[in-house]
Amino acid sequence: MADNDEFIGEFLIEAAENLDQLDRDLVALEADPRNPDRLASIFRTVHTIKGTCGFFGFTKLSTISHHGEHLLGRLRDGQLVFNDSLASLLLELVDAIRTILAAIETTGGEGGTDFDSLCQRLDAAAAGAVGTAGAPEPQAEPEPTPPQERNPDDVAAAVAPTETPAETAKTANHLPPEGAAPPEPPAAAAPTPPTPSPAAGRPSPVLDPTIRVDVGLLDTIVDLVGELVLARNQLRTAAPEDPVLQGAINRVHAVTGELQEAAMKTRMAPIEQLFSKFPRIVRDLANTCQKQVELDLDGADTELDRTLIEKIRDPLTHLIRNAIDHGIESATVRQAAGKPAAGRLSLRAFHESGQVTIEVEDDGGGIAVEAVRDKAIARGLVSAEEAAAMSAERIFQFIFQPGFSTAQAVTDISGRGVGMDVVRTNIESIGGTVDINSQPGVGTVVRVRVPLTLAIIPALIVTSGGERLAIPQPYVQELVALRAAGETHTIEGLEGAPVLRLRDRLVPVVFMDRWLGLRDWTERPTSGTVVIVRVDHHEFGLVVDAVTTTDSNRNSSVETTSLWIIVVKPIGSLLAPLGLYSGATVMGDGGVVLILDLRGLAMAADIPARAQDTEQPATAGSPLTQAEADRYLVCETHGGRRIAVPLQQVERLETLRPEQISSAGDRQFAKRGSRLTRLIDPDQLLVSFERRSPPAAASLVGVILTADTGGDALSVARIIDVDRAESDLEPGGGAAGLLGTLLVGGAATEVLDVPAAARWAAHATAP
Amino acid sequence: MTTPIKPASSVPPPTGIARWCSFLVADRCFAVDAGSVAEVLRATTVNRVPLAAAAIAGLLNLRGRIVPVIDMRLRLGFPPAPAEQRRINLVVDIRNEWYSLLVDDLLDVTSYDTSQIEPPSGSRSAAALDAVVGLLPAADRLVHLLDPARILQSLIATRVRGLSVG
Repeated sequence: MADNDEFIGEFLIEAAENLDQLDRDLVALEADPRNPDRLASIFRTVHTIKGTCGFFGFTKLSTISHHGEHLLGRLRDGQLVFNDSLASLLLELVDAIRTILAAIETTGGEGGTDFDSLCQRLDAAAAGAVGTAGAPEPQAEPEPTPPQERNPDDVAAAVAPTETPAETAKTANHLPPEGAAPPEPPAAAAPTPPTPSPAAGRPSPVLDPTIRVDVGLLDTIVDLVGELVLARNQLRTAAPEDPVLQGAINRVHAVTGELQEAAMKTRMAPIEQLFSKFPRIVRDLANTCQKQVELDLDGADTELDRTLIEKIRDPLTHLIRNAIDHGIESATVRQAAGKPAAGRLSLRAFHESGQVTIEVEDDGGGIAVEAVRDKAIARGLVSAEEAAAMSAERIFQFIFQPGFSTAQAVTDISGRGVGMDVVRTNIESIGGTVDINSQPGVGTVVRVRVPLTLAIIPALIVTSGGERLAIPQPYVQELVALRAAGETHTIEGLEGAPVLRLRDRLVPVVFMDRWLGLRDWTERPTSGTVVIVRVDHHEFGLVVDAVTTTDSNRNSSVETTSLWIIVVKPIGSLLAPLGLYSGATVMGDGGVVLILDLRGLAMAADIPARAQDTEQPATAGSPLTQAEADRYLVCETHGGRRIAVPLQQVERLETLRPEQISSAGDRQFAKRGSRLTRLIDPDQLLVSFERRSPPAAASLVGVILTADTGGDALSVARIIDVDRAESDLEPGGGAAGLLGTLLVGGAATEVLDVPAAARWAAHATAP
Repeated sequence: MTTPIKPASSVPPPTGIARWCSFLVADRCFAVDAGSVAEVLRATTVNRVPLAAAAIAGLLNLRGRIVPVIDMRLRLGFPPAPAEQRRINLVVDIRNEWYSLLVDDLLDVTSYDTSQIEPPSGSRSAAALDAVVGLLPAADRLVHLLDPARILQSLIATRVRGLSVG
């Protein structure tokens, strides 16, 4: 039985590849309905699936592929002519096979879905009834004109991306313009041996230069090579000055270096693996949106780490959806604007300065920068004056804000305003960036840049409390030497909220030794290094003892640098859930060093997010300017948090007795005379947005807010002071609760965003 | 130095003869399925993992593979080993990941008939002993059978709160 499982596993892998090939063949066949090679290839693939599943006793799969094969046989023999509705029907067959395979993979059985109706429609189509009553799909697309009458570019664009050069050559015989068509993706698609090409023919596996290797084995090889590199390093330092031995060591050195490079290459895969899915996706989306779209794929042979290919799949698919749904206009609109009826969607991948760039470009309606700017102003993301001074690229970045959408209509496919922020989050989580450029009427291009690999990264190795830790270099902004008080770089702020005054900013800092429990102290250290890092919307400093340096031997001159190139190794399912370490690496001395997960660390250490986008000026979106609101009421919350409220938003202060407080569920109200005033607990607002039981304080102070900010009252433990701000507001509130941090009364204090708090309270207390 | 016993394999069969690798922790006898043992080596220095559960002694570099080390004394609720005690790393394969069980001494690998296994008694169901899945009354002592996967369970995502930010 175990042997059988193994065979079934192989069958599933092979079938999945075959299905992808089917998708591509069918979409290509739509553009070139009479291509006999493609028809034969499709027939063979379905026949293979049918044969193999019969062997395993998967009757449902066998039946459905049998019906499909029957229809395909008639097509191949020329008794039927391929058309759009047949394409839809056959793609439906592919999806049905996928459904069954997924069921086999997860449950071992064929699942409960019933495909009788599909079988009947396949038979009806085979009998020549398709296109009338038997057609399951709406006839969204116009009937294809015979190839000879088509615009040659159309055909080339639709067919070329999935064709191998051999086929291009064959079709070119009866379609002369195609071979001369300007977009040349065939060349790009050509060097991708892992996918068996139909033209090469499946029956000749002997000629296939690739073999299937277990990924775990490749990782083992990479690990062992890393171990070899360590041993080589030890040899180099420990070997005596014997010329023969030194010569041998130098050869070992060179070979090991090449071996490591080759081993790392085994992790790379062409982006073709991902691109090959897109013709089908584009076809389906175009049908659903009732638009005509031609897809251009370029640079499919661009290689990157196979784990990254998986991670960019969803973001890229989302960008394609957006481009087709919102970017490319309907045929009538396009023709009215003097454009070709069919929109063009281009995907380009290429290597650029050690990164992989992927561009998703459409020639659709584009996005008016004014619309984005107006929306950003309306949503309070930026003031009108600041927006006026921003470049178009900066304005377009607002599209990545959560909930930001300029789409007029919400459709099934996209446009709910979710998505672009998720795209950015996903891309940033693998150390990449994304930006947009667009011109109304001309089109939009989204540029995604991701690193080549996550397996080898540049990093700083720091020491803290006797331990070494790695900080990935892409997050590091700068290094600041710590000084004793009175000098330029000192740590200020209360216990629990230390900040570094860096030029005109206050940057929250974390003392790594104390925070990680490596060492304790009562007086803050006054020496060491602060590593300023930025991740997402968080900017903060890590106070460490020292940053280590490495000697890199380049061109026989030894240069010292603080940048290490480290091999990232997984730390396993036991330690990964800690959320503090993204992996570990083995150093030259054989020791293990943990790599800090800065995103997790920012969350675990409660680092406040900077307001809005960090690129914005400090006062962006804030109703405050220094001139009108530099006096603050400083108070302590029930949870002991020090917060400040702009004095101009405070009506009066009242001590509230317990008998004045009435609770309704988890909401609290204060009876003041004949009025009920809603109480806002800042802790509840700031600590988390989950409802927490109200404070059971014996007495509390109500900070009654002005009517124009809602007339609610903040419930705090005590009033500390009323004072003038001693620094500029450092934005750092993030979600709804905080405007930022500033120095007031000699300490760093969080400034409450009162209007946001009132909105939050109104929402939280809504029935 | 290192003694590969046998390549990692699957869980023990439900019936028949099973091979158990037994070891000492705080003078008591425990055992894991011998098929899961990948390697045995003398304890070496490990790099600690700040804020992880106390029983996670650190990380071991085993030929380039990062292996978390679990101090079985702490995991099973016994006092820490004396500093001078030389201990043993028993590297086991748990769902295709390697973990090292830091034990006091290695005893032997013995075959037992699985019908001899008794369920763990109620008095031993203390939290620290939750990984004990059965008892084997051997000639001279009682062997506590451990399920490696259960050894991990209570250690996952246990983040020790560090000191305040400063």
